[in-house]
Amino acid sequence: MIATMAAAARPEHVLRGLAVRQVRRGALVVTAVCAGMSALVVAGYHSEALDPAALAALASNPAIRTLFGEPVALDHAGGFTVWRTGTVLAVLLGVWAMLAASRTTRGEEDAGRWGLLLSGRITLAEAVRQHLGVLAVVPVLVGAATAAAMIAAGVDATGSLLHGTGLAAVGLFFVAVGGVTAQLFVSRSAANGAAAAVLVVGLLTRMVGDGAPALAWLRWLSPFGLLALTRPFDSNRGLPVSLLAVAAVLLLALAGRLAARRDVGAAILATPGSRPARTALLGSVPAFAVRRTVRPLVAWSAGIGAYFLLLGLIARSMTEFLTGNPEFAAMAAQAGFPALGTVEGYAATLYALLAVPAGVFVAVRLAAVAADENARRLTLLLAAPVTRLRLLAAEAAVAGCAALFLITVAGIAMWAGTATVHAGLSAGDALAGAWNVVPVMLLCLGAAALALGWTPRAVAAIGALPAAGGFMWQVTADSIGAPSWIRALSPFAHLAAVPATAPAGVAASVMAGIAAAGVVAGTVGYRRRDLSA
Amino acid sequence: MGISALRTEHLSKRYGRLLALNDLTLDVPAGEVFGFLGPNGAGKSTTIRLLLGLARPTSGRAWVFDTDAADVAAAHRRLAYVPADVALWPRMTGAEVLDLLARIGPGTDTAYRDELVQRFALDVSKAAGTYSTGNRQKVALIAAFATRAPLLVLDEPTSGLDPLMELQFRQAVGVARDNGQTVFLSSHQLAEVEAVCDRVGILRAGELVEVASVAQLRRLHHTEVAATFTGTPPDLTGVHGVHGLHADGAATVRFTLNGSPAAALRALADADVATIIVREQSLEEIFLAYYGQNAR
Repeated sequence: MIATMAAAARPEHVLRGLAVRQVRRGALVVTAVCAGMSALVVAGYHSEALDPAALAALASNPAIRTLFGEPVALDHAGGFTVWRTGTVLAVLLGVWAMLAASRTTRGEEDAGRWGLLLSGRITLAEAVRQHLGVLAVVPVLVGAATAAAMIAAGVDATGSLLHGTGLAAVGLFFVAVGGVTAQLFVSRSAANGAAAAVLVVGLLTRMVGDGAPALAWLRWLSPFGLLALTRPFDSNRGLPVSLLAVAAVLLLALAGRLAARRDVGAAILATPGSRPARTALLGSVPAFAVRRTVRPLVAWSAGIGAYFLLLGLIARSMTEFLTGNPEFAAMAAQAGFPALGTVEGYAATLYALLAVPAGVFVAVRLAAVAADENARRLTLLLAAPVTRLRLLAAEAAVAGCAALFLITVAGIAMWAGTATVHAGLSAGDALAGAWNVVPVMLLCLGAAALALGWTPRAVAAIGALPAAGGFMWQVTADSIGAPSWIRALSPFAHLAAVPATAPAGVAASVMAGIAAAGVVAGTVGYRRRDLSA
Repeated sequence: MGISALRTEHLSKRYGRLLALNDLTLDVPAGEVFGFLGPNGAGKSTTIRLLLGLARPTSGRAWVFDTDAADVAAAHRRLAYVPADVALWPRMTGAEVLDLLARIGPGTDTAYRDELVQRFALDVSKAAGTYSTGNRQKVALIAAFATRAPLLVLDEPTSGLDPLMELQFRQAVGVARDNGQTVFLSSHQLAEVEAVCDRVGILRAGELVEVASVAQLRRLHHTEVAATFTGTPPDLTGVHGVHGLHADGAATVRFTLNGSPAAALRALADADVATIIVREQSLEEIFLAYYGQNAR
């Protein structure tokens, strides 16, 4: 009896416990990846003799700066690690933070699970604040673990701590962004879309600010720009990271305020009350799958297209720089970017990156099917004369075709960029380079279908693994000079440098075969299992 | 016996250690309105999920008009379904959802659908995300009734409806019955089941404990009798079928009657009966009697 009363007296403890349970597993994974990758790259760093003039040339090359950020303290293991992993880890942490923020707040509310929670003494604003508060601890842990791992790996404390603080601030910022968009939009998907737009715009702003000296001030407007401006292991500036942290705290406070101003289940940005029916693409299961894919596809295409257009625009500057400074070509090769000296090599290297968003896209699309099932939205479809096989086939085919479209958009965007600066990349080569990543995208599709059949809760994570996990695996393996069989575990190790070289037909076929096996095994599981909910 | 609209043989479903449905054998003839009763967790929704192929039976089989229920593409051409908890895509309007369900469903009478939209007073131009539970249920009900599929499977379809809409629902079931459609209605609303169903099946802890018409069910159970007399009440002790006899004041007796009332009526006829009230138990009372003990 006493215990019951004590528990009832502290609703915020219960809330925090609930929040912790929802994020702890993801938090552990993100922390382990950030700390582990940073420590591995520090440990694997080989000092190369770089003359100061060459370093200055590198630091002032706009293309290098656009793509990798401003190279700072590359002659130092810590500086190299920050340059090599900083943006990747910041994006990883940011994406996780914003998705977790909207999942634990708007997602739970959307699913109707907060109705009961908020019928007690807890207000909506309190629930939002407690969940975001718990989530805000995670980036701090990630930053601390990363700094500790780097110090343990042998680089000095000041730079490590500053880098850790910077990562923490970026993470915190995206917790806050996810928290705010979850208040603004009525559905979790819209909130995620808006938060992702902030992330992509932040990334592009950093790239443009780094690449064009006249627009260098833009970096002060981007979380990734501010992260770079801290310059760990070089000038160690505290102001940018402080600004970012203040912005994050203000946004967190705003999220709480906005939550207090809205009703449960409603949003700050009201949806229009009534509208005429739009009956296009409702005629069949595949058409309906297309209908639900169009909106996200347009958003992804805009983001990816802008990124690859920018990469195209800097192609000429980059290749000319590396041709003139061969020592950096070797260094870029160590960092996993070989053959950047020709426009074909450059295109091949950067098109390989395209596998990551394309793979994540198909994983997210099939995860949406799992989410629809879990929310019981598929029940009415499957009560119609629609077999599960037909539903899965339609969804997988539409996701795959949409990813092909996305890949083609990226191919054309980069070609348009290179054509603008007369870098000499032919349209055929551009498309060949982009389509070269199709096998990795198919692997993601196969993994996601497999997960949908057997572990429907983990579709996004398992589906994204071949692309996002494979990419990180390769980066780490390259940075530490891992043996070739370890490298070979990543699908990226089997992508030929198209258009610089001919496509690797055998490797592509093997990947497509594995993907097909995944789809078949997933389909078997999906047809046999009970549907959830 | 005519055609079966819905038939199961030894249908069982086990979730880990829980036997959710145990050896269900059931036959619902075409054209019947069948009520499927049971407390929460008795296995009603599990049965429906098995019938629809949303879950796979551990053992046993089910047929929809002699099509194996596992053959979803064929079986679902002949049925329409209303889930207990209707979830819709939040950004689609009601009209868009109805359009989608009509176009992928087993065929829809759009004129009747428009009439149902009016009758259920549903604003179909609003996004489904703004709908209340009742309005989401209306969308599924309208879509199902408008199909004219020969079998309607309704899982607690009126739990979110107000009494006016409940009346519309009963009328729609009546129209379906007049059209020769079979209705399989799982419900907690005993008054509703009593009003619309020809037969009921009662499920308890995963087992079917009774299948009978509503009238038979009542007959199986006792009737309450209260009689007042101008003179001295007769002594009914030991009369065949009379139980729970007690005097209520000097001139009134109450008792319950099981089986044939003939003996009791003869005994009463010999006395001067002033008033007599004979009341059958409501389905609710019968229902509670079933679940009073060992209910799950």
